[in-house]
Amino acid sequence: MKGQRILLPWAGLGLLAAMLFAMELRAAWPQGDDALQWIILQNAVLPRAVVAILAGAALGLAGLLLQRVLRNALAEPSTLGISAGAQLAMATATLYAPALMGWSVGFVAFAGGIAAVAIILALTWRRGLEPVSVVLAGMMVALTANAASAALILANGDYLFSLFIWGGGSLVQQSWDPAIAIGSRLAIGLAAAILLLRPLGILGLDDASARSLGVALHASRFAIVALAVWIATTVAAEVGIIGFVGLAAPALATLSGARTLRQRIVAAPLIGAILLWVTDGLVQLASGAGGERLPTGAATALLGGPLLLWILPRLRMMEWPSLTTPMAASRRAARPVAMLLVTLVALIFAMVVALFAGSGPYGWTIATGDLLADLSQWRIPRIVVAAAAGAMLAAAGVMVQRLTGNPLASPEVLGVGTGAGAGLTAVLLINATAGLFWQIAGAAAGALGALLLILGVAARGKFGPERLLLGGVAIGAAASAIITAVVAMGTTTSYTLLTWLTGSTAQADATQAFTALTLMAVLITPALLTVRWLDILPLGGETAKSLGVPLIRARFLVVLLAALMTASAAMFVGPLSFIGLIAPHLARLLGLGRARDHLIGAVLLGAALMVVSDWLARMVAFPYQLPVGLFASLIGGPYLVYLLSRGAHQRG
Amino acid sequence: MTRRAFLASGAAALAAAPVRADVSRSIAIIDWALLETALALGIVPAAASELMQYRNLVVEPEVPDTVVADLGLRGSPNFEMLRQVEPDLIVISQFYDYQRPQLERIAPVLSLPVYDAGTPPYALVEDSTLKLGEALGIAEKARAYVTDTAREIALRRTALTSHRARPVFIINLGDSRHFRAFGGDSMFGDVLGRLGMENAWSDTTSYSAAAPVGIEALARVPDAGIVIVDPSPPEVARGLPRNAIWNALPAVREGRVATIAPVSHFGGLPSARRFARLTESAMSQWPVA
Repeated sequence: MKGQRILLPWAGLGLLAAMLFAMELRAAWPQGDDALQWIILQNAVLPRAVVAILAGAALGLAGLLLQRVLRNALAEPSTLGISAGAQLAMATATLYAPALMGWSVGFVAFAGGIAAVAIILALTWRRGLEPVSVVLAGMMVALTANAASAALILANGDYLFSLFIWGGGSLVQQSWDPAIAIGSRLAIGLAAAILLLRPLGILGLDDASARSLGVALHASRFAIVALAVWIATTVAAEVGIIGFVGLAAPALATLSGARTLRQRIVAAPLIGAILLWVTDGLVQLASGAGGERLPTGAATALLGGPLLLWILPRLRMMEWPSLTTPMAASRRAARPVAMLLVTLVALIFAMVVALFAGSGPYGWTIATGDLLADLSQWRIPRIVVAAAAGAMLAAAGVMVQRLTGNPLASPEVLGVGTGAGAGLTAVLLINATAGLFWQIAGAAAGALGALLLILGVAARGKFGPERLLLGGVAIGAAASAIITAVVAMGTTTSYTLLTWLTGSTAQADATQAFTALTLMAVLITPALLTVRWLDILPLGGETAKSLGVPLIRARFLVVLLAALMTASAAMFVGPLSFIGLIAPHLARLLGLGRARDHLIGAVLLGAALMVVSDWLARMVAFPYQLPVGLFASLIGGPYLVYLLSRGAHQRG
Repeated sequence: MTRRAFLASGAAALAAAPVRADVSRSIAIIDWALLETALALGIVPAAASELMQYRNLVVEPEVPDTVVADLGLRGSPNFEMLRQVEPDLIVISQFYDYQRPQLERIAPVLSLPVYDAGTPPYALVEDSTLKLGEALGIAEKARAYVTDTAREIALRRTALTSHRARPVFIINLGDSRHFRAFGGDSMFGDVLGRLGMENAWSDTTSYSAAAPVGIEALARVPDAGIVIVDPSPPEVARGLPRNAIWNALPAVREGRVATIAPVSHFGGLPSARRFARLTESAMSQWPVA
């Protein structure tokens, strides 16, 4: 009885999809013996419906496999950076190895996707592929790959028109080739899943039981991950990025009552197929003569965001021993004040170099006199904006890391930065030529919206670290999907958004500099008042309570301040930079262990790092200006790898 | 004068032209349409933006690489570089008006419109060419260039008389499944009309990077010819010949498809001229209906 009630909505949705398809068929049915119309019916209308069904099923299966093997409810092609990696590989190949793209798009996409997964697995290997870390690493890889693709598109403009289409995910068909490619991968995937039913079931248990049951743990895990990536990147290569189906289908299958693995292997692809078929039907219904208003992949992303937020509280998040071990205590400097002075000197040195040294039409110069007076009107605002943004990100990083006890946590994962981007997107959609004031207002509203959502999600878990991080990642993914969808439309708005995504300080002026400084002063001062809490919070909730910390209020205030600082910084330097992740670690390495010293040290280091990044971004490809956000993350990436491999020794 | 002789003399005049007409005046140009216009009028600017891509996508008139300083991306020109070039005048189009406050601190800014959503741009660009000529003190030359361009297009129009029976799509391929069309409000669409041809795409374009459309939309006007403006992405070479609908289009079966070299989508009169020349020579190879 209950089972029927749950099946009913899916049957209804399936019927709706079929009706939408029937309408398409009627509209495309040839009048008389119009040969061309027959060919269109056979090669466009029919394969499109088949591809929608097959691609949806393939993504549902890929999501299920990844979630099962990694024991991670949020694992899917977009949260693991597979789509972003594939996109970056395709952008790079289009520009630098066009022959490769001519030979096989699928291969290029697979190479990019598997590289992204390999990086994530390598980064989190020593943490036992613990889900929160995997998702955090996935988000960072995805953000970096997206920013790098954005920079490539910006630098090559029109030539990468194809990537706009691809990023949007279009199901338009003109032959049966994509249907055959996706269908064959789906068949192989299903067959393998059925053959591997037993190992798959065991891999869902913890490692010790799996090993004792005789499963070649790593070999089977890698084989299944590679299979899932192959299926997902085939879909990506044939029709572009279709987000959220891989995440939603397995989750909805479970929520619809598919209890056993066997049931889920049937249910997840079926639900994925229905979801994508309905979405594509609606997209076609809304399309006009000038083409589709919204590519299908963008539509699934828009529908998927809210769906994800609805699913999130209903999922059993942790199928894994939770990571509550406090961060390893580090060496304490004997005289922290001296260390702080050293970092201050480093910041001042960076600022002086950035102000005086630079390239020009006739090579390097140290600016003096009139030239300096003139150049400083561009250089000073950039230095100030970069320093303020770096300082705020670093402060937010210290607070988030101490709050969650997770050294991988950084302001980006709060989703507030990308939330600001979604707000900016909304403003630009209403008016493509909106001024700076409205852009900042929109970004602030978006950040606030994301913040309220995170606080809402986190409040259910009493602001516990895991729910906060996963909520942040989910909101970030939903907001990025909205941004990607609008970028995919390929209008002037796209270029404005791409510029923001890569993080550019090129247009910084006195007003921006003043705003950034004010925000920094207003937000970092209260942060300094929370240092007692920040000293105690990493010790865990129980300890904190027994030491008299008002736990919920303290966590709420820390999250609020960190989110406001992240949002403010994101308005100026984009959503990406690993400064919020790295600066706190560097400060700790210098022996700044107490919360007060840690915070101040990280703020100074964050400011210095961002000033250096901005200066390098201006100078490396002079006169072409690289985006500072991307540059900062390229500096941060290698450090992240080092950090994670080092963390392994401490744990192991 | 025969058509060919006229065109040859025009080309010779262009080839001889690139000398800085007014040496005392140093200008910087952000917009490509105005850059190509200035070059065609014989003015070599002291600085201009994104020259690497300009050489790939706009192609002509050529930028002498020794004289001109590259300012970086059009969307974020390098103000420091610009300041050190010390131009007397900065020329932008309405696309870059948001940079104006920053640019005005370096030198006076002249903003000339080159595109207005929804209206055919040719007349607007003619007007901006004349205004640029006035601002640079070569009004006479600019007037001559406007007249020359109009006359050249008129000559090519005559040459295409026998091809007028069928409309033409001007498209740019996004991948082997999608294209974008250039409607009557684009420079290509406008020039196509001036060549006496009917545009098979009746909608407006609104912007050149408008939403991509599936190839099957080309079947709405089955007897139309198709002109593809390069660059096309690399996978098209493999994917398009396998596209069943593409192969079934009458234009493809009857050899009324042509691919032409890149032309700037938001170009000025030199691009209009280049487009007219490339299109005419491509279409004149087509079988006459």
